[in-house]
Amino acid sequence: MARVGVFTCFCGANIADFIDVPAVVEEAKKIKEVKISIEYKYMCSDPGQGMIRDAIIQHRLTSVVVAACSPRMHEKTFRKALSDAGMNPYLLEVANIREHSSWVHQKDKKAATEKASDLIRMAVAKSIANEQLHEISVPVTKRALVIGGGIAGIQAALDIADARIPVTLVEKSPSIGGRMAQLDETFPTLDCSQCILTPKMVDVASHPYIELIPYSEVIELDGFVGNYKAKIRKKASYVDFSTCTGCGACTQKCPVKVPNEYNMGIDKRRAIYTPFPQAVPNKPVIDAEHCTMLTKGKCGICAKVCEKGSINYEMKDEIIEREIGAVVVATGYDLWDPKPYEEYGVGRYKDIITSLEFERMVSANGPTGGVPQRPSDGKVPKNVVFIKCIGSRDEAKGIEYCSKICCMYTAKHAILLHHKVHDSHAYIFYMDIRAAGKGYEEFVKRAQVETAATYLRGRVSKIYKKGDKLMVRGEDAQIGQVVEVEADLVVLATAVIPNKDNPDLARLLGVSYDKYGYMSEAHPKLRPVETAKAGIFLAGCTQAPKDIPDTVAQASACAAKVCGLFAGDTMKKDPMISTVNNEYCSGCQNCVKVCPYQAIVTDEVPLGHGSKELRTVAKINEGVCQGCGSCVAICRSTAITLAGFTDPQIINEIVAI
Amino acid sequence: MNKLTYFPGCSAHGTSEEFDHTLKLVMKTLDVQMDEIPDWNCCGATSAHVMTENLAFALPLRNLVLAEKLENKTMGIACASCYARMKVTKKEMDEHPELAQRINSTIIEEGEYTGSVDVQSMLQYCYETIGLETIKSKVTKSLAGLKVACYYGCLLTRPKNVTHFDSPEYPMSMDYLMEALGAEAVEFDFKTECCGASFSISNTDVVHSLSGKILEMAKASGAHMIVVACPLCQSNLDMRQPDIAKMLKTKLDIPVMYFTQLMALAFGFPKEELRFPKHIVPVEDALSNIGKIQPAPEKAKKTKKAVEAESEVE
Repeated sequence: MARVGVFTCFCGANIADFIDVPAVVEEAKKIKEVKISIEYKYMCSDPGQGMIRDAIIQHRLTSVVVAACSPRMHEKTFRKALSDAGMNPYLLEVANIREHSSWVHQKDKKAATEKASDLIRMAVAKSIANEQLHEISVPVTKRALVIGGGIAGIQAALDIADARIPVTLVEKSPSIGGRMAQLDETFPTLDCSQCILTPKMVDVASHPYIELIPYSEVIELDGFVGNYKAKIRKKASYVDFSTCTGCGACTQKCPVKVPNEYNMGIDKRRAIYTPFPQAVPNKPVIDAEHCTMLTKGKCGICAKVCEKGSINYEMKDEIIEREIGAVVVATGYDLWDPKPYEEYGVGRYKDIITSLEFERMVSANGPTGGVPQRPSDGKVPKNVVFIKCIGSRDEAKGIEYCSKICCMYTAKHAILLHHKVHDSHAYIFYMDIRAAGKGYEEFVKRAQVETAATYLRGRVSKIYKKGDKLMVRGEDAQIGQVVEVEADLVVLATAVIPNKDNPDLARLLGVSYDKYGYMSEAHPKLRPVETAKAGIFLAGCTQAPKDIPDTVAQASACAAKVCGLFAGDTMKKDPMISTVNNEYCSGCQNCVKVCPYQAIVTDEVPLGHGSKELRTVAKINEGVCQGCGSCVAICRSTAITLAGFTDPQIINEIVAI
Repeated sequence: MNKLTYFPGCSAHGTSEEFDHTLKLVMKTLDVQMDEIPDWNCCGATSAHVMTENLAFALPLRNLVLAEKLENKTMGIACASCYARMKVTKKEMDEHPELAQRINSTIIEEGEYTGSVDVQSMLQYCYETIGLETIKSKVTKSLAGLKVACYYGCLLTRPKNVTHFDSPEYPMSMDYLMEALGAEAVEFDFKTECCGASFSISNTDVVHSLSGKILEMAKASGAHMIVVACPLCQSNLDMRQPDIAKMLKTKLDIPVMYFTQLMALAFGFPKEELRFPKHIVPVEDALSNIGKIQPAPEKAKKTKKAVEAESEVE
C-alpha cells in the first residue's frame, strides 16, 4: 500500500495570494494514499525541507509530492531532502502550482485553487507508480577543447591548464590574440592592450598542458559529454613550423600585397605573412588565395630567400583527431557593416571610418604610427565626430540589441584622440550613455571634463561633403534643435555582431543559437556559461556582446565548469533516460530520426533464441540521452520506455483527473 | 509595342505640361503605347490622406479599379505624389483584404478591385521595364558635356517597403539614366532632401530655406542643371528660385528640367518641341555645354580599377 506525503508551499505570496492553500491541503487529505498533507510558507527553505524529512521517517512514506514552483527551479533541492531522509530521490514528484496555476490564473482564485488540487491529484497518482532510480556513471576523457584564441579562449585555456588538465586550443587565424590584439588602450584604466595580452599569449604557447593548434578549424564533433571526439582541419600553411625560425626574410621579399586584416585594411600585408609582430606563434603562413606561386605557379621568391628551406608549396590541409571531454566555445565577434547608412555616404566618403579602423590608427603599432589620419588625404584630423549606435538599437537598418561596449570605447577614443592630437576636438552623438561597470561612469566623466569632448544627445540624419570637410547634421535633443558639425573625420561605432561562422559552428556542435547568431546559454541567469548540450560551454562574445572584464570572467567560469566536470574519474548523470526493449523493437529506426541528440544508434541481435541470423534493433547511448521522450512518442511498438515517465505513471496521472 | 496605362495626375495637365508632353514624345520613340485612364480622378495627395482613411484610400482605389479595365500590366504615373498615394493604397489593399473590401464597397459602381495592375513611377518604368540598353540605343544626340545633378525628392524611392525601388537614401537610377544619354551625373548629396513640397503655398519661407539648400548644393557640386522626376519639386526649385536667390543674396541661375525633356533632347527632338519657354530659369545657357567635352568615363570602370588595386603586384 502506497503512503504518500503532500507538501504544499505558499511561496511567500506568489502562490498564497492566488490559491487558497489551506483548501488545497484539505483536498489532498481526501486522497486515500495520502498519509500527511501539510503547508509551509517556504517549502524550499531549511525548515521546510526539515518538515519533509521528518514526515518521511514518521509516516514511513513511499513517495513524496511537493506542490510548489517549477521542477526546473527546485526539483534537485527536494530530491536531496528525500536522499537525506534515506529515501530514493526519484520517488519525488513536483506539482507545479506556481507557474502552471497561481501565476497564470491571477484573476480567478477559485479556478486556480481547483487546478492546483487537480495538479496535486495527478502528481500523487503518478508518484505511486514511481520506481527507484539510480544515477548513471559515465567515464570521462580529461582533455578540454577550446575553440577560438582571443582573450576568452586564452583565459579559459590557461585556467583549465593551470588545473593540470590538458587543453587543445584551436585558432582559425595564424595567430592567437583575437580582437584584443588589435586594441590600443583599454577602458576604463587605459592600460595598453598589448602589454596585458601578449604575456598571456606567450603563456599559452609555453604552457606544458596546452596544445596550441593555430590556423585550424573544428570540422566535426561526435560523442557526448566526457567522451567527445573532435576532428580538426589544419589548414596548409605552406611553411614548416618545425624548421622555420621566424626570421621574416620571406615576408619582406614577397611581392604580392594584400589588404591587411589586422589593420582593418588600412595598409597592406604580403601574401606570406605573420599577422602582427607580436604574433603567437611567430611563424608566417602563405595566403593561398593571393600567393601567385600557388595560384599561377609564378614567383617562388619566399622559397629562394628562406635559408632553412621551410617553404613547401606542396603542403596540404591535414585532418587530425582529438578525444576530449568538454568544449569551450570562444569564437568572438565581428563588426556590423554600416553600408545601409547611405544617408551618411558610407562607402562614398573615405573619411568615414569604423571604430576599429580608428582604433588601429591610434594604436602605437598601427599603420599610421599612432596618430590618426584622414584616409582621403593623410592629414591629421582636428574635428572628429563619433556617432554611436550604428546598427545597434536600430530595428530599421541593423539589430535591436545594444552592443554594450560602444559607449565606453567611444569615450576612450575621445580621450585617445586628445592624447594624440592635442588641438583636436571630439564631438560624440549618442542615444544614451550606458556606463554601468566598475569605474565606467567616472571614465565617461573623464572624457567629458578632462578631454572636453562635446556630447550631443541625438541621432545624425545626414552627412554631406562641403569642400574637403564632412558636414554632420544631427539633432541635439537637449536644446531641441538641428545642429551641423564640420568634421575632418567621422568615426562610426558599428554594432557588435557574432562571428559569421557561429551558426554553422553551433550546428556542428549541436548547440542552439539565437536569431542573431549568438550561441544560447542554458539559462540566462542561472546557467550563463553552459549550453543546453552537456559539456559545451560558452565564453565571451560567442554568447552576447561583452567587454574584456566580462569576457575574462566568463572564460574563467567556463574553466571552473570544465574542472568541475573533470573532478572525478566518472561523471554522474540523471537516470531519467530511455531504454529499448529488444523483444518489442521492430528495428524501424523512426526513433533514430527523431532523436535531437543523436543518442540512438542501431545494434544487431539474434533473430531468435540461439539463432545465427541477426536483426536490427535500436540502441540508446545512455551518456548522450537527455530523456526528452521523443523516441517514446514515435515508437509504434512501445518498445522504448523513459525512466521516470513510464506508461503506468502517465496513465495514473490521466486517470486521476 | 509595349502598352502602358497612364495616370498623369493634375499637374501633368497643368503646371507640368512640359513633363507630360515630353514623356509622350519619349514613350513614342521607345515604342510604348500610353493609354490614359478615362475619367481618372484626383489621387487625394497632401489633403485627403491626412483627413480620413476612407477618402485617402477610396480616391486612389477608384483609379486603380479603372486602370484594371484597360487590361495593361503596368500603370505608369507621372507625378511622384500620385505615385506615392497609388502605391501605398495598392500595398494596403493587397495586404488587408478586409480593408480592401470595405473601401471598395464605397466605389463599387466602378467595379471590383483585383490587384492585377502593377504601379510604377515613370522613372521606374524607364529604368526597370524599358531598361538602359534600349534607351541608349535610341540616343541620336549624346548629351556629353552636360553635367547634371539628379534630384529625386522624397517620394520616388520612399518608403522602401512600399516602393521597392532603388535606394531610399542615395538612389542612382536617374543618374544611370542620364549617363546612358551621355550626360555626366555629378555626386549630389542632397538628392533626396525635402524641397518643402506643398508648403510652397501655405508656408513659402520653409520652401525658400529647404529648396535653397538643395540649389546651393547642386551649384557647389558643379552641375549645370538639376534633373527631376516630380512636378512639385520642379516648381519649387524653378519657380521659387529667383526669390530664393534674393533671400540667400547670391546668384543661382540653375535650371531645373524633367528627365524626359533631356531624354527627348537626346532622342533628337528639336528644341522647339521641349517646352523651354515654360521654365522660369532659362535652360539654354546650361544646354550650351553639350558637346564641349568628351563623354564622361562610366562609373563601372572606376570600380574595376579599385578592385585591381586591392590585390596589386609590385
